[in-house]
Amino acid sequence: MKSPVLAVRDLSVFLQDGGQPRAVVDTISFELHEGEILALVGESGCGKTKTAEALMGLVPTAAGSIELCGTNLAALPEARLRRVRGRDISMVFQEPLTALDPVFRTGNQIADVFRRHRGLGRAEARRAALEMLQRVGFADAGHVLRSYPHELSGGMRQRVVIAMAMACRPRVLVADEPTTALDVTTQAQVLARLTEMAGEAGTAILLITHDLGIVAHYCDRAAVMRMGRIVEQAGVDQLFAQPQHPYTAALLGAARGNLLS
Amino acid sequence: MNAERRIWGQLRDDPAGLAGLVVVGLFLLVAMAVWLGLIGQDWSAADGARWETPGPDHWFGTNILGQDIFERAIYSVRTAFEIGLVVAVSSTLLGALLGALAGWYSHSWVDGAILWLKGVLDSIPFYLFVAAVAFALQGKGWAMHVAMIATFWTTTGRLVRAEVMKLKTREFVLAARTIGLPDALILGRHVLPNTIHILLVQASIAFVAAIKTEVILSFLGLGVQDGVSWGLMLAESTQEVLAGHFSNFLAASLMLFALLMGFNLLADALQDAFDPKQASQ
Ligand SMILES: Nc1ncnc2c1ncn2[C@@H]1O[C@H](COP(=O)(O)OP(=O)(O)OP(=O)(O)O)[C@@H](O)[C@H]1O
Ligand SMILES: [Mg+2]
Repeated sequence: MKSPVLAVRDLSVFLQDGGQPRAVVDTISFELHEGEILALVGESGCGKTKTAEALMGLVPTAAGSIELCGTNLAALPEARLRRVRGRDISMVFQEPLTALDPVFRTGNQIADVFRRHRGLGRAEARRAALEMLQRVGFADAGHVLRSYPHELSGGMRQRVVIAMAMACRPRVLVADEPTTALDVTTQAQVLARLTEMAGEAGTAILLITHDLGIVAHYCDRAAVMRMGRIVEQAGVDQLFAQPQHPYTAALLGAARGNLLS
Repeated sequence: MNAERRIWGQLRDDPAGLAGLVVVGLFLLVAMAVWLGLIGQDWSAADGARWETPGPDHWFGTNILGQDIFERAIYSVRTAFEIGLVVAVSSTLLGALLGALAGWYSHSWVDGAILWLKGVLDSIPFYLFVAAVAFALQGKGWAMHVAMIATFWTTTGRLVRAEVMKLKTREFVLAARTIGLPDALILGRHVLPNTIHILLVQASIAFVAAIKTEVILSFLGLGVQDGVSWGLMLAESTQEVLAGHFSNFLAASLMLFALLMGFNLLADALQDAFDPKQASQ
């Protein structure tokens, strides 16, 4: 087997919760291979978002390593990390309205990625942003380019965010509940577009979700998280057929219960 | 997108705000005309007799030296705008810069140093501070500007600091970090522009405060050194009013009142129009 694009080993994140520091992410390990989609599932507050933020270097990691193509991000100084962010690893946030600057035209926000990492000039970056918007499926990309976030619908905004995140064809995309804020039809469209683009670029995705339907439909493998720890990791088919951990079984049971009711 | 059109639309339906706009607009035109040398240039020429009553030669009469009070009152509009604008723009920019740094690097030594400076400046009695600065600068005309800018920024700084601390945990700022933008760019392009509502309000408050403070400082002899201002005119008038000559006093205080009134009406109307809660409707 080829070596993984992302190898996370014994990653821990501590947060000050009142007085005592508490491990909200507790010695987790997982690997991500090129083009693979790994689901990270678990109940609210189990540490999924903190894991994502740790991968992006947005919260300090207390222990462990995050190897992206052989480079340990956890040990990189901020200045080096900035060159990796947005180019080799990028992130899609849960709420697309708040993930875009309200007083900035969307086109400029996408163009920023190209100017930063590809060294493009203003006009070239703008052209690249337009092309990116076409690729995420906008027919009238020129109009979206000049729009402010509040002028777009939720699904459109999330596609803008995806255009930003995929602009440099990163090796790894961290998607934190990318479609939770969207209605079901839009959800399917956005996820289909996202996985298609990732497939073309060979981007591996860590897809954070609590929707087991999405896991079954789009993901290759899944990791189940509970109270900061990964309790089980397996191929999706195997996980659904034979959950090993009682918590996974309970999660699946709850999901089936929802479907029946 | 049509923010300008929306704000204009709201202003049009607000008679008080519209009146304020007209008054401030007129004063601004006068200030620019003085600045361009079109009017108010004879403010220092003593070409009349002492204390002439208002008439065709001297519309508002003359002062103790025989100088034309209308000319002096008109020239003072320029003085007021110059002080108001310089202090409002500088103190707001300084407050924005220091507040943003303190908020972005909150609870670090940068934040500590800025808060300490703010605490020191806030605890010195203002007129004592101005007197000290004026003394230190050996009676330079801009000592007053320096003193006001150095003290007026602190409120803006505190408000911007709090806003930036809120903004830096917002997702679009995190998102800007996840695409690899450096801190300075994130602060300048994504954080500060989102504090513009605070900056506009603070700048308008500083504009009014600077003009009022100038009058008091000039009255005390700590303000305008070369030139004329409503404050200097009021200082002159203390002698004259006792002798029954009200021209200086009325001209200076009525024009000051009209400008500040107009500006407050306009600022209130703009604040309503800029209110983000209304903007989303
Ligand atoms: N700033 C903070 N300070 C202290 N504790 C925090 C902070 N932010 C989050 N936490 C705690 O960290 C834990 C993990 O939070 P996280 O946001 O990663 O959960 P999550 O799995 O993403 O949940 P959700 O599904 O609701 O998004 C939670 O128990 C939360 O209470
Ligand atoms: Mg979360």
